[in-house]
Amino acid sequence: MIDAEIIKSIIIYGAMSGGVYALLALGFTLIYGVSDVINLAHGGLFMIGTYIFFVLATPYGGFQIELLWALIFAAILVAILGTAIFRLTVHPIIEDPLSVMVVTISIAIILQESMILRFGSGRQTVPSLAMGLATVWGVKVTYSSILAFAASLALFAILLTFVTKTKIGGAMRAISQDREVAMLMGINTERLYMLTMGISASLAAVAGILIVSSTTGVTYPQVWPQQLYMSFAIVILGGLGSIKGSLVGAFIISYVENTFVFAVDPIVARMLDMAEGGSLSGAVIMATMLLVILVRPKGLFGKRVELED
Amino acid sequence: MVTGYFRRAYSSFAAHVLDIPPRLLALLLFALLLSFPIVNPPRSILLILTTANLLAIFATSWDLLVGRTGQISLGHALFFGIGTYTTGLLFSHLNWPIWVTVPLSVLVGFLAALLIGFPCLRVKGHYLALVTMAFPIILIGLILYFKNITGGDAGIWNLPRLFPFLPYEQQYIAEYYLTLLLLFASGIILYKIANSKTGIVMVSILDDELASKASGINITKYKLMAFAISGLFASLAGSVNAHLLTLRVANIASLRLDLSFLVIVWTIFGGLGTIYGPIVGVYILQILDQYVLTKIVDVPAPWHYIIYSIIIIVFVIKWPRGLARFVTDKQEDLEEARDIDERGPKIWKRYKKKEKK
Repeated sequence: MIDAEIIKSIIIYGAMSGGVYALLALGFTLIYGVSDVINLAHGGLFMIGTYIFFVLATPYGGFQIELLWALIFAAILVAILGTAIFRLTVHPIIEDPLSVMVVTISIAIILQESMILRFGSGRQTVPSLAMGLATVWGVKVTYSSILAFAASLALFAILLTFVTKTKIGGAMRAISQDREVAMLMGINTERLYMLTMGISASLAAVAGILIVSSTTGVTYPQVWPQQLYMSFAIVILGGLGSIKGSLVGAFIISYVENTFVFAVDPIVARMLDMAEGGSLSGAVIMATMLLVILVRPKGLFGKRVELED
Repeated sequence: MVTGYFRRAYSSFAAHVLDIPPRLLALLLFALLLSFPIVNPPRSILLILTTANLLAIFATSWDLLVGRTGQISLGHALFFGIGTYTTGLLFSHLNWPIWVTVPLSVLVGFLAALLIGFPCLRVKGHYLALVTMAFPIILIGLILYFKNITGGDAGIWNLPRLFPFLPYEQQYIAEYYLTLLLLFASGIILYKIANSKTGIVMVSILDDELASKASGINITKYKLMAFAISGLFASLAGSVNAHLLTLRVANIASLRLDLSFLVIVWTIFGGLGTIYGPIVGVYILQILDQYVLTKIVDVPAPWHYIIYSIIIIVFVIKWPRGLARFVTDKQEDLEEARDIDERGPKIWKRYKKKEKK
């Protein structure tokens, strides 16, 4: 029933999408780890990143610069935008998680609607990073998804080194462990929040460009909710605020999704005599996340604090 | 004797309602809403208010769960959708009458909330918020997958009317009154629960779970109770909403993320944990959204959402405690100022006398 071909494609495609999902979740988990903010606008920044890339890299905007530079510019612009949003709207109410959620989701909607206003609600074609197909272990993969996979793992490694080895990274970890003590040690929390938000936003943009250009190749204003769900599932599964958790969680989620799409869905559809469709894959991902959470309430690598909160 | 009875009733009414400005405001608002159809308003406003009544029930149910026990739910549309779909499915498959399907869907909402409350007991804070968000997504996935049962994307259409025996024009008014009465009843029930001993225990869980556990409170029971009550009222709103005129449909719009987030927006806007705050929030924001920004100003759709979101952001940053809290805070400030005016000089005099001695 399940032949070697399917297993091979599950392994390869799972790895490919796991890498970019890890990058997407990393931004989400970084800002949570440092400032305790659940940034529901993360998906919005993802969407803005793809649009900036689209404007810079295609004839639409009249720039048509090289793809790599477009990616870097998009990351920088989204970082500035994210930091500005954070400073203006989230920072005054950072103590209240519910207000933060309301404000960040409103921002996501503002971003979405302003894109509809400027570009219309239709789909825009985002250029692919590299053309052509490669055959990896008997499975056909596009070059752009290999590139996206490699780029995201490299970025992940760079950020991991940044957080674990540099002084600023040490300050980030200190804040995420104990905010008051970190402040007493003379860490400027406000500046660090902004820096983290900038990194998180640019990660959202880069992940967005990599995901969109290596998979569907189109972006549209409502692209973000699905990506937001995905980063939720990964981050919760791996443990909120844990970098290692987001990497492991991303691969678990990606393998579950691919196993479902390639192996389970066709069989179930045949058994129940129904058309196969991707409509259940979101539900399967969420159910996986719930199962893990039931066994480990703080995720796989979450901060485990007994009794208190 | 009759006059004595009336006088007693009036004095108790005055003490419990008239002397407390927020309650007086609530009473006036209710009276205003009750007399609203008399002035023969345009049907569009009546429809907005009818929906707002049900959404207000939904928002207050969220407020009981989150504002009292602090269990943040980002997927409250689940219960609304369960109410909608239960009544829709019972009608489309079994063709049961409306007075059976609506109570049954309330019951199903109650049981579903109990069922979901159990796993949610294990997680807290941000984890709980994001975990609850997963449930509506799972349900949407299942509904879209089993198309032949649930109708898939299109949903279940042509649900029965609430008042088929009335002439068409009067059905709107009848529905308005029905929803208003439902809101009034559930508002009072939820308010009573929130301010009873049970509600105080729930607040103690919100304030310090460990301390209330140490004082011998059965936390599990109260958390589940909050979930179940909340689910019950949310599914009531959802099931009645499915039968309202003009649409009469059960589709996945009732489960969407928008609704789960709008309920937070309404509640934060009105005042978290006050029960009456969300009602005010729903009315103001629904009228702003559906009437002011569509009928009066009539901006194109993207601007509509941008303006709405900016208003919410500014409001939440400016008054994070909500409108109702803002009003009560102002009132307390005034009373405090009055007290100081009256008491202050006396204390001062006494102090002076002491000094002289």
